[in-house]
Amino acid sequence: MRISIESEGYQPPKHGLIMLQVLLALLFCVLVFRLWHLQIVQGDLNLQRAQANRWRERQIYANRGLVLDDQGVILAENRPSYAVALTREDCPDIPSTLAKISQWTGEALSKLERRYQNSLLEGVPGFNPVILAHDVKFGRVAWLESEALNWPGVTVVAQQRRFYTHGAKFSHVLGYVALANAAELRDYKDLFRGDSVGKRGVELIQENRLRGAKGLEMQEVDALGRPLVRENKNRPHSGEDVRLSLDADLQEAAALALGGHSGCIVVMDPDTGKLLALVTAPSYDNNLFTGRLSAEDWGKLRDDERHPLQNRAIQSVYPPGSVWKLMMAAMFLREGIKPGETVACTGEFKLGNRSFRCWRSGGHGRVDMLRSLVESCDVYYYQMADRVGIDKLTSFALSSGFGRLTGIDLPSEKPGVVPGREWKATMRGEPWQRGETVNASIGQGYTLVTPVQMAVYVSSLLNGGLLFKPLLLDGARPEAFGRTPSTEEERAFIVQAMRRVVEDRQGTAQRLGRRDAVIGAKTGTAQVVALKDVRQRVEDTLYEHRDHAWIATWGLKGEQRYVVVVMVEHGGGGSASAGPVAVAVYDYLFGAVKPRSVPRQVAASGYVVRPQDDSGLDEAIRASTQWVEFIEGSK
Amino acid sequence: MTQGMEERHIWKANWALLFFTVVLSVIGLLNLYSASVIRLGEGISLAPYFHRQCLWVGLGVLCMLGCMFLDYRRLISSAELFLILSVALLAALFLLYPDNAIKRWYPLGAVNFQPSEAVKISVMLLAAKMLSRGKNPLGWKEFGIIVCIGLVPAILVLKQPDLGTAMIIMLILGGMILFRGVKVSIVKVGLVFLVFSPLALAKLVLPNLLDYQRDRLIGFVSPDKASPKSVYQSEQSKIAVGSGQIRGRGYLEGTQSKLRFIPAKHTDFAMAVFGEEWGFVGSVTLVVLFCIFLLSIYATVSSAGDRFGGMLGAGIFFYFFWQVLINMGMVLGIMPVVGIPLPFISYGGSATLVNFCMVGLLLNISMHRYVFRVV
Repeated sequence: MRISIESEGYQPPKHGLIMLQVLLALLFCVLVFRLWHLQIVQGDLNLQRAQANRWRERQIYANRGLVLDDQGVILAENRPSYAVALTREDCPDIPSTLAKISQWTGEALSKLERRYQNSLLEGVPGFNPVILAHDVKFGRVAWLESEALNWPGVTVVAQQRRFYTHGAKFSHVLGYVALANAAELRDYKDLFRGDSVGKRGVELIQENRLRGAKGLEMQEVDALGRPLVRENKNRPHSGEDVRLSLDADLQEAAALALGGHSGCIVVMDPDTGKLLALVTAPSYDNNLFTGRLSAEDWGKLRDDERHPLQNRAIQSVYPPGSVWKLMMAAMFLREGIKPGETVACTGEFKLGNRSFRCWRSGGHGRVDMLRSLVESCDVYYYQMADRVGIDKLTSFALSSGFGRLTGIDLPSEKPGVVPGREWKATMRGEPWQRGETVNASIGQGYTLVTPVQMAVYVSSLLNGGLLFKPLLLDGARPEAFGRTPSTEEERAFIVQAMRRVVEDRQGTAQRLGRRDAVIGAKTGTAQVVALKDVRQRVEDTLYEHRDHAWIATWGLKGEQRYVVVVMVEHGGGGSASAGPVAVAVYDYLFGAVKPRSVPRQVAASGYVVRPQDDSGLDEAIRASTQWVEFIEGSK
Repeated sequence: MTQGMEERHIWKANWALLFFTVVLSVIGLLNLYSASVIRLGEGISLAPYFHRQCLWVGLGVLCMLGCMFLDYRRLISSAELFLILSVALLAALFLLYPDNAIKRWYPLGAVNFQPSEAVKISVMLLAAKMLSRGKNPLGWKEFGIIVCIGLVPAILVLKQPDLGTAMIIMLILGGMILFRGVKVSIVKVGLVFLVFSPLALAKLVLPNLLDYQRDRLIGFVSPDKASPKSVYQSEQSKIAVGSGQIRGRGYLEGTQSKLRFIPAKHTDFAMAVFGEEWGFVGSVTLVVLFCIFLLSIYATVSSAGDRFGGMLGAGIFFYFFWQVLINMGMVLGIMPVVGIPLPFISYGGSATLVNFCMVGLLLNISMHRYVFRVV
C-alpha cells in the first residue's frame, strides 16, 4: 500500500484564509446593500416603471424603391406577401411545430428543418422570428393567424414581394431580387435572414439606392404579450425610386417587332448615349425569381438552348459582318485612301492560292468607297485592308470602342474581340496570317462585337466622334469614354454613305426609306459557318447554321435623332430579316404607329397612383403570359 | 487515535456543501420553470429549457459522484496533459470554423460542447499544482510562468469572442496567486498596475474589443454615451429586480420576464427573474445561501489535508465567487454586462456539468482532509 504523505500538519496560508473571509463579507455587504437600494429605496419607482414598461421594439421594413420608365410607368413595384415565422424562444416543441407549419403551408418538412437549422448555425438570437415559409396564399392568412394562437412561437409576418409589371419585357434590364444568401447577409449588416436583395440587372447595380433603411417601431403589449398599440420610433426610409431612360411602350413595340426571333434591339440617343430601348429575346419572367423558383423551372431556364437568361445586347458577342464596313471605311479614310479610288470587283479576291468571295458572285465591277458601302462590296474591303494591314485595323477598331467594355451599368458585360497580331500570339500562340486580315475586313473571322458597342459606334458618327457610355438611368450625366480618330469630314462621308444605303436604287436597305424622316443604315449578314461553294436558300439551311442578320441605323426627324441597332440571331440576310424590325421601331419613334394603350400606372412627382382594384394586375399578368406564350410558340 | 488509517472517509465529506448545492439547484430549477413559462390564454406552456436543464442537473450529479470517488491527487501528474488537450480543442475551433463569426462550441448533435469550460478546469488544476510547490512566498519567475499559463488560453477565449470566460480565467488565477502569497515587490507592482489600469483599459483594451463589448463597457461607465441597445438590457434588468420590492410580485407573476423585456432571462439574467418574483426577502435569502455555500467551500479549503488540495479548493472558491459577484453585479447594474452565468441558477449545459464537477472535487478534498502519519 502506497501512502502519499504530505509534510506533517499542512496549514493553509493564514493571510490567504483571511483574504477569503474578507472577500466573502464584502460580497455579502455589496449585494445586500444594492438589493436594498433597488428594491426598497427605489422599489416604488421601479414597480411603476415595470408597469409602464409594455413597449417592445420591432423592425419595420422599408419600401424598396420603385423602378419607373422615362414617362413614370411603373416597371417594378412592391406587393404585400405573407410569411410564416418561428420564434425559437417561445416555442415549446420545435419538431412538432415545424411539422404543423409544413402541414399548413405545404412546404416539405425537410426544407423547413433545414432552414431552421441554418438559422441556428448563423447565430440568429432566440427571440428573433425566423421566416420559414414564404408566400402564404392571401386567403389562408386569416385562418393561419387564428391557428397560430394555439402554437406559441408561430407568427404570420407581412412582407413585401417585388412585382415586375412588365414581366419578361424588362427582365434583362431590371434583373430581379431574391433571398439574400450567406455572403450577402455578411456584407450588408442591415439585411436579415429572409430579406430580399437585388441579384441581377438594375436591381443589383442600384441596390444601395433602392433598398432604403429599415425603421424601428415600439409596440405596446398587454400582460399576455399581445400587441395593442404601435408607435414609430425611427421611421423607415423608403428606397429611392429609380427612373430609367427606357420607354416602356417603345420597348414593347420593339419586342413585338422581333417577332419571335432570338436577337436584340438597341435604341440609343446618339447625343447623350441614353438608351431608349434595350430588348433581348427570348426572355424569361423575372417574377419567377422573387418567389421561390422551383428547381424544375430553373433547370428549364438554364438549359434552354436559346439561352433566355442571356442579355444579348451586352453579353453576347457576334461577328459583325458587313456592318463592320462602317468602321473599315472610316479607317481607310484616316489612312489616306481617297474616296474616289476604285477597285475592280470580279466577285472574288485572290491571295496566294486562296480566293475570297464577294457576296455577289458576279461581282460589282468598278467600285469606289461610296459604292462599296451602298452595295456592300466585299472585294473592295479585302483589297484595301490587305494594303493597309492588320495593325492599323486593330488600333483603329480599339479606339472606335470595339474590343472593350462600354461601361454600361449592368453586370456581366462582355468586351468582344478585336483580333490582331498580339491577340493571336497570346490567345493561339501563332503568327498572324494575311488571309486573316482579309477576313477581318468584312467583320468575319475572329472579330466579335456586342450590339451595344455597335450602337455606341454609330452614335459617335452623329455626335462629333464621342463614344458615350450607354446610359440606363433618366437624368444620368452623359459620359464619354473615348473619341474616334476620324475627322468631321470623314464622319460626314460615312453618314452620307449610310443615307445612300437606304435611298440609292442599289442600296441594301431600301426598305427602311420613309417620307417623314431621313434614315441611314448599313446591313450585315454574318456567317456562322464557312461559306459553301453553292449558296443555299435561307429556308434550306439548318437553323443554327443560318447567318446572323444585322442592321445598324440612324434616323433624323427635326429635333429627333436616334440610333437603332438590330441583331437577329440566325435570321439570314441582314436586310430581309433585321430590316423590318428596324422599320417597326422607327414607325413607333416617328409616330406612325400609336403605342398600344396599355393601362398605365403612372407615378408622378413622387406620388404613386396604384390601381384600386386588381384589374391592372390581371392585365399585367395576362400581358406577361401572352409574352411567354408568344416566345414559346415561336420555337 | 483520532487520525484515520484509511485514505477515504465518506462520512467526513463536507455535507454542508452538498446540502447547499442541492438547495441552490432546486431554487435554480424552480426559477427556470418560471422563466420558461409562456402564457397562452388561460393555460400555461413551457419553453424547452426547463426539461433540458433537469436533464443537465441529473448528469451533473453523476459527474459530481465521479469526481468524488476518484482521488483528486491523481490529477496532479496529468495536469499538463489536460491543459494541452483543452487548449488544442479550443484552437481547433478556429481552424475548423474559420468562417463562423462566433467560435464558441462544437455542435455535437443536440448538444453544444464548449471547450472554454474544459479550459477553465485545466488551468485551475495546473495552477494548483504549480502553486503547491516551491518556497513561500512566490517569486517573480514562478509568478510569470503561472500568469503565462493562464494568458494563452485566455487570449484564445477572448478571440472566440467570449470576454466573460477570458476574464474569469484570469481572475481565478489572480485569486489563487494572492491566496498562496507572493513577494511584497509583486504586490507593489500589482498595486501600481491597478492604479493605472483604467488608463491601460482605455488605451489598449477598448480599441481591441468588439463593438458590442465596447458598447457595454461604455454603457456601464456613462450610459448617456452608449447606444440605447446596450443600456437597454441593464436598465430592464434593474427595473425587473427593483419592481420586486420587499416581497416580490409572486412566483410566476413577474411581468418583466413574462413579456420578454429581460434579455437572456434563462441564462445570464436568470437572477432578474428571481428578484422580480421573490423581492428583497427572496433575493437576500439567495445571497445568504450563496454566502453559506462559499463558506462551506472555505471550510474545506482551510481544513484541506495537503497543499494541492488547499490550492485547488481556493481555485474553486474563486471560480464560484467571481461568477456570483460578476453575474449578480451585472443584474443589479453595478457591473458591466458580461456573459457570465450564475452558478446553479442560470440555464446552461456545460456550465452546470462543470459546477457539479467542482463541487465533486471539493467533496473529494474534504474526504481526504486528515493527514496520514507513517507509523
